[in-house]
Amino acid sequence: MCELHQPDVRRGRWAPTGWPTAVAALAAWCALQPGVARAEHDMGAMSEAHSGGGSALSAGISIEAARFDNVSYLGSHQGVTPSVSWTSSRFGVAAALGMYHLTKNGLSAYGIGDAMFTGHAAIITAGALDAGVALHMMVPTGSELKGFGMGHAMAMPSAWAAWQIRPVVINASLGYSRALVDLGGAEHNHGPAPLVDPMNMQELTWSGGAEVDAVGRIRIGGRVLGAMPIGTGTDRLIGAGRIAWGTPRLSTSFEVQLGIVGDPFTVRGVVETALRF
Amino acid sequence: MRFAMFSLLLAACTDTALPKPTETVCPDPDPGTLTWESFGQQFMADYCTACHDYALSRSQRNGAPVFHDYDTLTGVMYLPEHIDQNAGSGPAAHNSVMPPDRCPTDPGGPLNRDCPKPTDAERMTLSVWLACEVERRKPH
Repeated sequence: MCELHQPDVRRGRWAPTGWPTAVAALAAWCALQPGVARAEHDMGAMSEAHSGGGSALSAGISIEAARFDNVSYLGSHQGVTPSVSWTSSRFGVAAALGMYHLTKNGLSAYGIGDAMFTGHAAIITAGALDAGVALHMMVPTGSELKGFGMGHAMAMPSAWAAWQIRPVVINASLGYSRALVDLGGAEHNHGPAPLVDPMNMQELTWSGGAEVDAVGRIRIGGRVLGAMPIGTGTDRLIGAGRIAWGTPRLSTSFEVQLGIVGDPFTVRGVVETALRF
Repeated sequence: MRFAMFSLLLAACTDTALPKPTETVCPDPDPGTLTWESFGQQFMADYCTACHDYALSRSQRNGAPVFHDYDTLTGVMYLPEHIDQNAGSGPAAHNSVMPPDRCPTDPGGPLNRDCPKPTDAERMTLSVWLACEVERRKPH
């Protein structure tokens, strides 16, 4: 998914001693990218969630801009999401909090989104295959009424796998997202929300994609991300193309996403940069 | 227990009062004194239709969702529960999410004044009226 760093680096094969850990820290940060991974709730779908030993701290920032046109609202939003992560061996944790400017049906508002926390672990790291699990939690720090937050906590366990056949990396994920409220209650059963990152109260999520080494340290790739509601809700399908550049210490990517089904947004652009310490 | 405490902790992270059904019921028998003409239309004109008006385009609605139009009784009865949960008052809840803090002087204009707010009595009357309108539409 959000593979900012080069595949060889990601797998700890490319860099001198110490690099794998650092790169894995980038991976953990990557797992929190708001415009890419968080939005599609595939936080755990990281093929690089292990460091191969040692530990590392990293920090990143993501900037996104999107337009949306759904049944209730026409508008746009811009967001900035700083994040931090720490990875040790096969395990990692990360946290992020987005800040947004939202315009909906002519009303402009500023606010923070829901805080995001992730724990992840790599279970299989054999040969060309990596696989693992993750648990992503969202805490309702964003205003539901203004369109910045869900209004309740969300839990999102997931599993991910990646298969590297140089120069290509293929990855996939499957997850489950659920609001930590009584889903049968009439008081709080909204449709897809929030505007800055719509999701259903309960849904299955999936993703699949591939990246290929281009020239130098540049990689290009594409992916699709989807969600199927459990119970009431809306299907969601997103297609994305991305270009990434990275060194073991600094990585940057740009992704363009198109909302294909479910009106999560019309188009969204995300620029991400990560730095490991 | 742990889950409940965890949920409470998470809920404490946001201070937004969420809309709740007021559980208001129409008196039985319905006295028929609260109608669109006697109450609803004026209430909506006073507090709602500066944004919730069918005639306003999406860019003029100052955040009001499309299809949330309260300039007609038909529009109101499309979402009576929603209105009750955002502006009504009753046995189970006192909702003051709507009207918001700032309103346009002219429908569709900039938010250049403080919104007039219904009194608690008006909010209670709103919930009763909505409950009665819903009841009147049920087959008997």
